Amino acid sequence: MSAPLTLEIQDLRLSFKSWSGTTEVLHGIDLSVASGERVALVGESGSGKSVTSRIVLGTMQDVRSARVSGRINFDGRDLSSMTVAERRALRGRDISMIFQDPTSALNPVFRIGALFHEVLQRRDRRITKAEARRRAVKLLQEVSIEDADRVLDSYSFQLSGGMNQRVMIAMALINEPRLLLADEPGTALDVTVQAQSLELMRNMVDRLGTSVLFISHNLGVVREFADRIYVIYRGNIVERGPTASIFDSPKHPYTKALLSAIPRLTGGGVPEIEEHSPAFSDPLVTHNMTHDNMTHGSGR
Amino acid sequence: MTIFRRLLLRLGTSLIVLIGVSMLIFSIARVIPGDPARIALGPRATIEQVEQMREALHLNEPLVVQYGLFMRDLAKGDLGISLYSKRPVMTDLAEYLPATLELVLLAGLMMVVFGLPLGALSARYRGRWPDHLIRVFSLLTVSAPAFVWAVALVLVFAYFLPLFPITGRIADTLDIPRLTGFMLIDTLAAGRLDGFVSALHHLILPAFALALSGIGQASRLTRGNMIVTYEQPSIEMAQAYGFSEARIARRYAFKPSLIPSLTIIGLDFAALLGNAFLVEIIFAWPGLSRYGVGVILQKDLNAIVGTVLIISATFLIANIIVDFLVSVINPRIRLSEGGK
Ligand SMILES: Nc1ncnc2c1ncn2[C@@H]1O[C@H](COP(=O)(O)OP(=O)(O)OP(=O)(O)O)[C@@H](O)[C@H]1O
Ligand SMILES: [Mg+2]
Repeated sequence: MSAPLTLEIQDLRLSFKSWSGTTEVLHGIDLSVASGERVALVGESGSGKSVTSRIVLGTMQDVRSARVSGRINFDGRDLSSMTVAERRALRGRDISMIFQDPTSALNPVFRIGALFHEVLQRRDRRITKAEARRRAVKLLQEVSIEDADRVLDSYSFQLSGGMNQRVMIAMALINEPRLLLADEPGTALDVTVQAQSLELMRNMVDRLGTSVLFISHNLGVVREFADRIYVIYRGNIVERGPTASIFDSPKHPYTKALLSAIPRLTGGGVPEIEEHSPAFSDPLVTHNMTHDNMTHGSGR
Repeated sequence: MTIFRRLLLRLGTSLIVLIGVSMLIFSIARVIPGDPARIALGPRATIEQVEQMREALHLNEPLVVQYGLFMRDLAKGDLGISLYSKRPVMTDLAEYLPATLELVLLAGLMMVVFGLPLGALSARYRGRWPDHLIRVFSLLTVSAPAFVWAVALVLVFAYFLPLFPITGRIADTLDIPRLTGFMLIDTLAAGRLDGFVSALHHLILPAFALALSGIGQASRLTRGNMIVTYEQPSIEMAQAYGFSEARIARRYAFKPSLIPSLTIIGLDFAALLGNAFLVEIIFAWPGLSRYGVGVILQKDLNAIVGTVLIISATFLIANIIVDFLVSVINPRIRLSEGGK
C-alpha cells in the first residue's frame, strides 16, 4: 500500500470489567484504512464492530468498565497516549460518525439548522448563523435535497427517515473530516432508501477524499461501496482482502456463511458454525496472518 | 392566532370545570349538618331571628333556586356576605389570596430553581458522590409532608438559630400602604427597600418549607428523565461530534428531559395550594388557607363556596400556564397543535 494510512490499528484488545469478572470482547485486532480508502468491517451481531468504531472515535476509552489496549494511530498520531480532551478535539472535526437510526440520533428539540450551526462551530467557533446556514444549504443540495431551507427549519421528527439520513450524511461531512465512521448506516430504513443514501454518501466521500470505515452485518450492502473488507467474528478478524477477492474466493468458512446469507435480506441470518473451532478462540495477534492457518477450521 | 384559539379553548373547558366545582361545593356546603344562621347568630338568638336570617339567605328555597340566585349574583361579581367576617366574601378573598399566592409562587419558583438543577447534577454525576448526596436529600424531603418541614425549619432556623422571623409577613414596625396585597410588590411600589427585604425575610422560610418536598420530587423526576435521555442515540451522536460534557448535559440531556419533568412539576405546583393550609397555620401566615379553615368551622356558606372557587380557578390557571410553558419547550406539541 503506497498511500499514507489514515487509521492504523494493531493488536487492539478490549475487555469489560464487571462484578462477575473480566470479559474480553476484542482479542487483538489489526486493521488499517489508507487515505481516501473505503474499508468495510463486516460481522454478525455482537462480533465487536461497534465497539471497534467507538474506540477509534475515542469514546470507548471514557467508559469506566472498559479496558483498551493496543496501538491506534490516527493520521500518524497515537490515540492511546492522548488525553480525554485531545481525543475529543478530534471528534466532529477530523473524525465523524454516521449512525444507524438517523431520526433518533438527531436531537429532537432543536431545528436541523441549529444542529448544523452547532456542528460547524466545532471547526470555527465564531461562525455566524447566516454563514452556517449558507454552508448547510450547499451541502444539503449535494445530497440531493432541493428544499434545503425547509429542511433546515424543520425538526428531525418532521422529516422522513431517508431525509434525516441525508441530513446526517451532510452533517458528518460538512467539516471535511479525514475519517468517517459509518456504523450500519441506514439499517433502520427500507432497502431502496438505504441504497440511495449510500450512493449519495459515496459520491460525497469521493469528492472530499474522505477515508471511510463502514460497519455492517451484511456483505451485500458493502459490495458496491468498499475497496477492502475485513470480516470480524467474535472479536477476531478472520478474513481480510479486496472486495472482489472476498466475494470471488472467500477462504474462511464464516465468510462463506456470510456470503450465503446475502440473498436472504432479512431474518434467518448466518448459519451457525462449529462452536469449538480452535481457529476462532486463538487470538490472532499477527498482522500477516495468512489464510492457510485458518484452513483447519472445522466448518470447511 | 392558533395559540390564541387554543388558549380560548382551554379557558372554555376550565370554565366548565369551574361551574361543575361550584355546583358540587354549593350542594355539599348546604347538605352537611348544622344551621349556618344558628351558628352565625349564636345560641342566644331567638327562633324568629334565626328564621329571619334563613329567609334573608334564601336557605328555605329549594337547592336549585338557591344555586340560581347564587349564579345571578356571581355574574355581577358578588359572592355574598361572609357570616364569619361580616364583610363581602370578595373583599375577604382579595385580602387573603395575595398572601397565599405570594407564598405558593415563591415555593413553586424554588421547586424549579433548586429541583431541576439538583436533578440534572445528579444525573450528570450518576453513581458518584454528588448523585448519592442529592438522592439522599431528595428521598428525605419527599418522605415527609410540608407541615413537618415547616415545624422542623421553624425549630432550627427561627428558634435555635434565630435567623428568620417566625410569624407574619413583614416587621410590625413597618407600615406599607396596601396596593396589590403582594408584599414584595407593595413595598417596592412604596419605594421601601427595607420593607422589601423584611418581606422577603419573612417569606423565605415558609416558602421553603412548602417547597421542600417539591424540590425533592422535581430533582428525582429530572434525574430519572435525564438518565433515560442519556441513553438516547442523540447523546451518542453529540459525543461523536466532540461537544463538551457540559454542553451535552445542557442541550442534549437536560432540555429534552425538561418536557416530562415540567409537566409533573406543574401538577405538583398546583398541589402546593393545598399543602399551604398547614404551613400557613404554623407560620401564622394571614393567607387564604387560614381563612378557609375559619369559614369551614363556622359553616359560613358563601365564604366556603368563594374560597373553594378561587382555589380551583388558581389551580386551573396554573395548569394552563404550565401547559403553555411545556408546549413552548416541546416542538412536537407546539407544531402538532399550533398548526402549520
Ligand atoms: N459497555 C459495555 N459493557 C459490557 N459489554 C459490552 C459493552 N458494549 C459492548 N459490549 C459487548 O461487546 C460485544 C460487542 O458489541 P458490539 O456492540 O461491538 O457488537 P456489534 O458487532 O456492533 O453488534 P451489532 O450488529 O448488534 O451492533 C458484545 O458482546 C457486547 O455485549
Ligand atoms: Mg453495533
